Amino acid sequence: MPVRTPHFPDLLFGPAERLRRWEDALMGLLAAHGYRELHPSLVLRDTVPDGALRFFDGDELVALRWDFTMALAGLLARRFPEPPERVSYAGAVFRRPVQPWEAVERFEVGCERITTEGQSSTEADVELARLLMAIPGVLGLKSAILHMGNAALVRRPLEAEGLSPELAAEVVAALSRRAPHRVAQALEGHPSAARLSAHAQALLSELDGPASLAALSASPYAELLQEEVDHMDRALQALLPILPPNLELRVDLADVAGLGFYTGPTLRLWAPGAQQELAAGGRYDRLFPGLGRPWKAAGFCVRLSRLLDLAETRPDLFEQP
Amino acid sequence: MNAPAILIAFPKGRLGDELVPLLAGTPLALDAQALKSRVLRIPTATPGVSALLLKGADLPRYVAAGVASLGIVGSDTLDEMDMDLLELADLGFGACRLSLCALAGVSLDELRAKPHLRLATKFPRATEAWLTREGLTAELVPLSSSAELAPLLGLADAIVDLVQTGGTLKAHGLVETAVLGRSSARLVAARGAYLSEPGRIRPLADTLIAALKGCG
Repeated sequence: MPVRTPHFPDLLFGPAERLRRWEDALMGLLAAHGYRELHPSLVLRDTVPDGALRFFDGDELVALRWDFTMALAGLLARRFPEPPERVSYAGAVFRRPVQPWEAVERFEVGCERITTEGQSSTEADVELARLLMAIPGVLGLKSAILHMGNAALVRRPLEAEGLSPELAAEVVAALSRRAPHRVAQALEGHPSAARLSAHAQALLSELDGPASLAALSASPYAELLQEEVDHMDRALQALLPILPPNLELRVDLADVAGLGFYTGPTLRLWAPGAQQELAAGGRYDRLFPGLGRPWKAAGFCVRLSRLLDLAETRPDLFEQP
Repeated sequence: MNAPAILIAFPKGRLGDELVPLLAGTPLALDAQALKSRVLRIPTATPGVSALLLKGADLPRYVAAGVASLGIVGSDTLDEMDMDLLELADLGFGACRLSLCALAGVSLDELRAKPHLRLATKFPRATEAWLTREGLTAELVPLSSSAELAPLLGLADAIVDLVQTGGTLKAHGLVETAVLGRSSARLVAARGAYLSEPGRIRPLADTLIAALKGCG
């Protein structure tokens, strides 16, 4: 598909002012919690994935920064023998759109929380969730919904059943569509079909408050997933007493977005009526070991471009400054 | 500002003809007077919820973009378009087969043996997938309607098309030589609407499932 200029939005006075104000406010929030900014280069020379905006610099193929987490991970693994524990970022990424209405140039603010051996992942996850819970207030959203999921709820049963990568991808695609009938269709004839179909039904049966975790007791993998359920339960117990009045917390057991990347708890922030999530993140413990560093990490990214769109199309969702 | 009205996209044509009577008497029954007119946005029995009447091939786009929160569309259309939307239920009705059809007397082996097979279809994606599974190659002739004419007039050796009763095939002297897949009506939802407003959207989805599932 040819890329046309609307994919590279020019921000006129109001949105430009709003972007500056939100970026400052979010970076201020992160700085107040000990997150220090890193600014990886806009041009990447080492890895050039398909979805990136690529061009030749002389004879060399380069890409514009397409993802802050990946850019930061490369930078941290190269430059730091011991990782900084808290890192923040702000700026634009450039990514070819999956849907035709998505912009190529996207403004983001986010953070990464990196832990080394002996440090608690649960505490880091709760810290990130608490930060994310504060973001609707910082942005002036009248109300918001925080979805908590866990990539391991799908990943571990698929690995335990030894599904081929192709079949696992089909099952994940069906779950992403929240289509239990497609899961059953994909698994037809496979020895694990009945078990995985029952698990899919359990994952898709609820999209509600913390009580949704109980739906997993109907899964054939309830025992396998006990550790993940306990982890989510502990996080919920820590978060519920401090839930702001304008924020609803939901448990989304079937969240499989980014399953190839995330390894544990995931978080997604929505506003009622928004067509796309406004912030997203989670635990991704396999990235740094893949770069030769024994570090664990989690983070989230606030999608400011989507918020700017939402402020234009649904101003009623925001408090007036 | 109040929350915007919820739009549900219903298909025109064969599937639409089947589902309108099934919704009668439910909270999502379509306004009979409006149905008789030429308007394409029809009030339902639930205030604040309207139906859009759309061509099947356009419907997934309205839902994926979040214009319509829910929709009903054939799985054949979904498989061809691969849009980012949720597929909440297989409603079962509108069931049909996606079949390879040729003139009576032409066998599948004869089609396989052709050095340059030409297949006319509205379903290039499903056809390509079947060709790959079968280890065949073919020239695809894209058509948007009346595919049955293609083998009769020499535009193609065979067609890949939806078959429900087989009446149209028979009328054109065609027979099914292979079944590539099956299709039925699916309840789809806009990802954003479903995840950001489950309290508004899920009850409507449940109403549609209760009224339509298993009525095929």
